[in-house]
Amino acid sequence: MSAVAAPATPAAAPAAAGGRRALTAWIGLLLVLMGIGVAAFLYQFANGLQVTGMRNTVMWGQYILFFMFFVGLSAGGLIVASAGRLFGVKAFKPITRLAVLEATVAVILAATFILPDLGRPERILNIPLYFNPTSPMIWDITIVMVYMAMSALYVWLYARADLARRGSWLAFGTGTSERTMAREERVKSAMAWVALPAAIMLHSITAWIFGLQISRGFWYSSIMAPMFITSALVSGLGLVILLGLILRRLGRLQFADDLVAMLGGLLGAFLALEAFLILAEYLTALYPGAPEGEAAARMLSGAYLPLFLVEVVGGLLVPFLILSQRRLRRSPLWVGAAAAIGIVGIFVHRLNLVLNGLSFPNIELPPGLPVGLPQDGSSFAESHWYVPTAIEWAIVIGILSFGALLFTIASLYLPMQEPDAH
Amino acid sequence: MADDKVSPVEALSPASRAWGEIGERSGQPHWGMVVDQERCIGCWSCAVICKSENDVPLGMWWNRILTEGTALDQPEEVRGGALEMHWLPLACQHCENAPCVKVCPVQATYHRGDGLVMQDYDRCIGCRYCMIACPYGVRNFNWGEPVRPTPHETGMVGARPLGTVEKCTMCVQRLAEDQVPSCVWSCPTGARVFGDLNDPHGRLVTLIREREGYDLLEEAGTKPSVKYLPPRRRSPL
Repeated sequence: MSAVAAPATPAAAPAAAGGRRALTAWIGLLLVLMGIGVAAFLYQFANGLQVTGMRNTVMWGQYILFFMFFVGLSAGGLIVASAGRLFGVKAFKPITRLAVLEATVAVILAATFILPDLGRPERILNIPLYFNPTSPMIWDITIVMVYMAMSALYVWLYARADLARRGSWLAFGTGTSERTMAREERVKSAMAWVALPAAIMLHSITAWIFGLQISRGFWYSSIMAPMFITSALVSGLGLVILLGLILRRLGRLQFADDLVAMLGGLLGAFLALEAFLILAEYLTALYPGAPEGEAAARMLSGAYLPLFLVEVVGGLLVPFLILSQRRLRRSPLWVGAAAAIGIVGIFVHRLNLVLNGLSFPNIELPPGLPVGLPQDGSSFAESHWYVPTAIEWAIVIGILSFGALLFTIASLYLPMQEPDAH
Repeated sequence: MADDKVSPVEALSPASRAWGEIGERSGQPHWGMVVDQERCIGCWSCAVICKSENDVPLGMWWNRILTEGTALDQPEEVRGGALEMHWLPLACQHCENAPCVKVCPVQATYHRGDGLVMQDYDRCIGCRYCMIACPYGVRNFNWGEPVRPTPHETGMVGARPLGTVEKCTMCVQRLAEDQVPSCVWSCPTGARVFGDLNDPHGRLVTLIREREGYDLLEEAGTKPSVKYLPPRRRSPL
């Protein structure tokens, strides 16, 4: 995933001429990928969503999948950072700025992923003009906007004292006196009180877009919001660990291995929590052997079984086993690997939610649903195996590159190191 | 385009016109439909006339005929090895508690106040949340420009724009001329009845009461305006 690899080269830039060349090449690559993404989007805009793998039978796909994945990455990072602040966990301090920046970039990406999913993106202003208060999508757009503004403000709050010291205009008149600094700390703590509930609401409401729909048996469950929170914690913390390790290697951020071990332990606990909720969900769905459990049963057989195994064995059990070893927790390499596997596992978890949640109609009688476009043979399908097209990939990679560029630039210009706890 | 078409209803003979008239109603009609599964012979006439009436492009169906069983138009084996065959004609249920209306972010799908759930093609942003929410799978998205078997627009209503959602409208264009939807008058076995659910002595309410009409996916609580009459005949094929 390019967003993960994003900060690799740029931070080394100030060091040497070679670093500068690498930075230029990296930004050039991102701009090219973004260009391809924009071209793909224009092509899709001109030809309609028929250029995607979506049809009436699976009407949401890759764009929505990445939307919810990035909402999770965003919420998870900020929950850890602001909870650390609220509960006075000083050890988290070195990664706070990183977590806040990661949360901001991720939520911007999440919002961007909605655009290519719309059949009529040029009518986007209909959302504020004719908003329907009973639509979970409206609740979500509202919280995404609030959260985006809040996390951007948060990034600035953390950076402004340093910016003022450097004499940057970005400080917007913030002073550097002792009294100002003391006030800064109070403002940051107060902000954590807003950020934590906002991050939790962000992901709960995103879960409710899916979980409130009685039409989708695989989604219609009160466990959706809690499960979205735990999967956000796993993937968000995982990404913060990965980015932190990369920035540390590049010399942009300093923290001790103790913190890596601590975050690794926390990630292990989050993995266990996610596994617990999945167990509770599947047991409840499968135990009665009733039709309501069909969707869950489908995950355990046929084409879906490998995906399910990747989700729970590969994505949860393996990283949990790694992180449960005290010796391995002390190794940044192992913790980084566990974090990366955990992120992939959460991605597959969400893929399973979308695929299995949508691929089968409620009324499973032949000939099924009209797919929406003329095709060879019958225009109906009873189930559908969604595969994204090259256009969808080009748009997704373009948006990911945009995020990588945002993060690269922000990590170059914003001080990442939070002064040590006194 | 649709505006300069001659109304097909005006061109009808008085007898044909009378055949399609909606008839009695209460002061405050709640339009609805009854589908009699005992009469339905699975001929797809209603599905085909719907396509031509509403200019539904290739690949889309506002109205389709499901076979109750495991294969299209194949009898289903019931208890004791006997064979039975029934169909489930399926189109928008025009729900009173419509999940699509609840979730549409821009109120592009809405209650018209007479029982019908309508779609505003000029407002729809194409997010397809309504298709997610609909338990019946009766909504179609315009994935591309409409493709027709002929180069002409075929319907009595205008074509829908790219990137928007469409579905059965109960032939609003015909209701305006006091005519029943096309699927109703065209049914060769009279399996569909259109009328006013608010009329306590009307044909619809009487049929639903006498034949124990049911809601499709009643457990979803959508309160459809389309009711189904279960087949009574139990004669094996």
